[in-house]
Amino acid sequence: MEGSSSVTKKKSVRAYVLVFFALALITLIELLLSSMSLNLTRSLLNTLFVVFSLGKAVLVAAFYMHLRSDNRFYTYIFIIPVALLLVFALLVIIR
Amino acid sequence: MSVETPTASKPIEWRRYFRWNTDHKVIGIQYLVTTFFFFMVGGALAMLIRTELAQPGQDLLNGVEYNRFLTNHGSVMIFLWIIPVLAGLGNYLIPLMIGARDMAFPNLNALSFWLIPPAGVLMIASFFVGAAESGWTAYVPLSVTAPMGQTVWAVSVVLLGFSSIFGAINFVTTVLTMRAEGMGFWDLPLFVWGMLATALMVLLATPVLTAGLVLIAMDRLAGTLFFAVAAGGNPIFWQNVFWFYSHPAVYIMILPAMGVISEVFPVFSRKPIFGYKAIAISSMAISVLGLTVWAHHMFTSGMNPALRIPFMITSMIIAVPTGIKIFSWLATMWEGKLRFNTPMLFALGFISLFLIGGITGIFLASIPVDLHVHDTYFVVAHLHFVLFGGSVSAVYAALYYWFPKITGRQYDERLGATHFWLNFLGTNLSYLPLFVAGLLGMPRRVADYAPEFAIYNQLATLGAFLLGISTLPFLYNVIISWIKGPKAGDNPWEALTLEWQTSSPPPEHNFETAPVLSRWPYDFGEKVSPADASEASASAGD
Amino acid sequence: MSVQNTAQDEHFRAGKALGLDHLKLGMWLFVGSEVMFFGGLIAAFLHYKVNTPSPVETALLDVTLVGINTFILLTSSFTVVLGLARAQNDDRAGLMRFLGLTALLGTVFLAGQVYEFVALYQEGVTLSSSVFGSSFFTLTGFHGLHVLIGVGWALATLAKAVRGGYSRDDHIGVEIFGLYWHFVDIVWIVLFTIIYLI
Repeated sequence: MEGSSSVTKKKSVRAYVLVFFALALITLIELLLSSMSLNLTRSLLNTLFVVFSLGKAVLVAAFYMHLRSDNRFYTYIFIIPVALLLVFALLVIIR
Repeated sequence: MSVETPTASKPIEWRRYFRWNTDHKVIGIQYLVTTFFFFMVGGALAMLIRTELAQPGQDLLNGVEYNRFLTNHGSVMIFLWIIPVLAGLGNYLIPLMIGARDMAFPNLNALSFWLIPPAGVLMIASFFVGAAESGWTAYVPLSVTAPMGQTVWAVSVVLLGFSSIFGAINFVTTVLTMRAEGMGFWDLPLFVWGMLATALMVLLATPVLTAGLVLIAMDRLAGTLFFAVAAGGNPIFWQNVFWFYSHPAVYIMILPAMGVISEVFPVFSRKPIFGYKAIAISSMAISVLGLTVWAHHMFTSGMNPALRIPFMITSMIIAVPTGIKIFSWLATMWEGKLRFNTPMLFALGFISLFLIGGITGIFLASIPVDLHVHDTYFVVAHLHFVLFGGSVSAVYAALYYWFPKITGRQYDERLGATHFWLNFLGTNLSYLPLFVAGLLGMPRRVADYAPEFAIYNQLATLGAFLLGISTLPFLYNVIISWIKGPKAGDNPWEALTLEWQTSSPPPEHNFETAPVLSRWPYDFGEKVSPADASEASASAGD
Repeated sequence: MSVQNTAQDEHFRAGKALGLDHLKLGMWLFVGSEVMFFGGLIAAFLHYKVNTPSPVETALLDVTLVGINTFILLTSSFTVVLGLARAQNDDRAGLMRFLGLTALLGTVFLAGQVYEFVALYQEGVTLSSSVFGSSFFTLTGFHGLHVLIGVGWALATLAKAVRGGYSRDDHIGVEIFGLYWHFVDIVWIVLFTIIYLI
C-alpha cells in the first residue's frame, strides 16, 4: 500500500512514539487538573478538558488512523458524522 | 455479446434462491420476492384495519387488537417492504449500472439479505406473545409498558437496521471503487445517485434509531429509567431520537424511487433527461437537508418553542430540491415521443400522486396548520400519498421496467395497464377522502369514530379493497410471464444505461468483457457514434 | 457462486482511480455510522446530565482509577500501530507480540471497568438508581462491549498471523482492525471527558 522505503517507516514509528507520549502527558495533566483543587473556575476547567480531549482524539485519528497521510475522503467520512452528532446533541440537550 | 460462457442459457437453478449466495443478482431477487411477500402481509393487515373502520363502532377488532394490527401494518410496510425492496433494486441494479462484476463485499451483501427473513418472522411471530401496540413510532411510555411483543419488535427493527447499514456500506463502496472505466460521477445513472444519497442517510440516521431502541429495550428489560417521567426520564428524548431516524427514513423511502422515475422518463420519452446535474445534486441536497428537519414531527409535543421556526424553515426548504426534480421530469417529457408502456404509466402515476403527498407535506410543515391537523387523518392521507402513491408506484414502475432484464422475458402490457389503473384509482379512492376526514377532525389510530365520518371511511375501505385486488393482475402477470412470457431480447426499451448492454438475464459475472463507458446514459436523440451503432441505437428522431 | 479473484477482477476495479481501497473505505463508512450510534447514547447521557443532574452519584466516580484505565487503552492503541509497523517490515513475530499485548491491554481495561462497575453497585449507583445510573452504565457498557469485540478481533488477527498471514505487501487486515480499535479508543477519550472530567 504505502510507499515503503525504510526511512519513512522509521519516521512513522518515531511519530507513533511521540504521539503516545503526548497522549500520556495530556491524560496526566487532565488527571492532575481534576484531582488538585486549583483556583480555576468550573467553566475554564471544562473548556480545558474539552480542548484536551479534542486534541487527543485528533492525534489518534491523524497519526494512528493515518488520516494525516491517507486520502482526504476518509477524513470527511469521519468528520461529517461527528459534526452532525454535535448538532444533534446540542439540540437535544435544550429542553 | 456472449463469447465463451453461455451462462444465460443455462437452466435456472432455483435452489440457489433459498441459499446463502453471493451473486448480487440472486440476492436482488431474494430481496424483491421476500419483501413483496411482506408487502402482502402488510396489505392484509391494512385491509383488516379498513374492514374494522368500514362503519362506526367496534365490530371486528377490539381496541387492543386494532392497535396491534395498526402498529404492525406500519412497521411491516416501512421496515420490511419499502426500505428493503428499494435496497433490493439497488442490489440487482447498481453493479450492472456501473459496469461492475458484483458488489464490493459479496458476503456482507448476502448477510444484509439474510437478516431480513428472521427479522420479519420475529415481527410477525410477536403476535403470539402480545404484539407491539404503540404504533410504528413506538412512542414512550406506551412502548415501555406494552407487552412482550414490543421487545421482539425492537429486536426485529434493530436487525433490519443492521441490514440497511451493511447494505449502505456496500452501495457506497461499490459505487466509489468499482465503476467501469471511463465512468465519472457525472456519468452515473440517476438511480445510482439516488441510492448513493439514500445510503448516506442510512449510514448517518439508522444507528441513532438503533441507539434509541437500545434505550427502550433497556427500560423494558434492565430496569433503566430513561423514559420514566417520575425519576426524571424524558419521553421527548425518544421522540427526538426516533424522528432523527424516521424523518430521513421518509427520504430513504423516496430517493431511490425518484431515481427509478429519473430512469424511466428519458427512456419512454426518447429524450435526454432534463437537468441531469440538478437532479443528481438535488438528491444529495435532500439527503443533507433531510437530516435537519426531524423536529417538525414534534410541534405539538411540548418541544422548545424557539426551535419550531427553524425546523419549519428547513422542512419547507426541502420542497425546493423536490420541485427541481419534478420540473425536470416534466421538462424531460416535453415534446418527447412518449411511449405509454406500463413503467411509464406508473411513473406518471408517481408524479401526480407524489405531488399531492408532497404539497400536503408543506401544509404540515407550517406550524399553525400542523397544530390544527396533527394526529388526524390528514397526516395519514399525506403519508400514504407519499409512500404508497409515491414509493410504491415507483417500485411497480421499476419492477415492470426491469422485468425483461431480470427474467429475460416480457410481461403482458394489457395486464400491466389493468394493474396500473386499478392501483391508481384505488390509491385515490383510499386516501383522498381521508384528507377531508382529517380536516374535519377525525383522529387517527382509533378503532372507532363518530358517525359523521362514515362516508369518508366507507370510500377509503372500498379503495383499500380495490388496492388489494389490484395486486392480483400483477402477481398473475409476473408469474405467468416469468414462466412462459415471450423472449424480451437484451434491450427491449432501447435504453442506454449499462445494465441494458449485457444479455437478459445477465450472465454470472454481468459482462463478458469489462465494459468501457463510451457515451452518456441519457443521450437519446443524439447522433450515435459508429462504434456503438450496433448496440441499442436509440433513434428518437430529431 | 462468485469467484473472488478472477483475472477480470482488475478490470472491474478501474474506479480505483480515486485511490480508495475498498476494505478501508467500507471500514471507514462503518466507523462513521458507529459515530452516530454512540452519538445517540452520548446525546442521551448529556441530555440527562444537563437536565436531571445527579451530583451525589457523580461524586462517587473514581476518576483516578478510570484515568489509569484510560492510559491503558491509549497504550493499547500504541501497540496496535507498532504491530502494524512490524507487519510492514515483514516482522511477523513482532506483529504477533504487539497484537497479543493489545488484546491483553484491552482485557485489563475491561477488568478495570468491571471493578469500577462492582464498586459503584456496592455504593448504590445502579442501572435503576437514577437516570444518571441508567445512562452511565448504558453508555460505558456499550463502549465496553465494543472493547470486548475488539479483543476478539485482535485475537482473530493474531490467529491469522500465527497461521502465517500478513506480510510487507499484505497487511490491510491489521490496518482495518487498527481502524476499529483506534475508533473505540477515541470514543473512550470523549467519554472520559464528558463523564468523568466535566
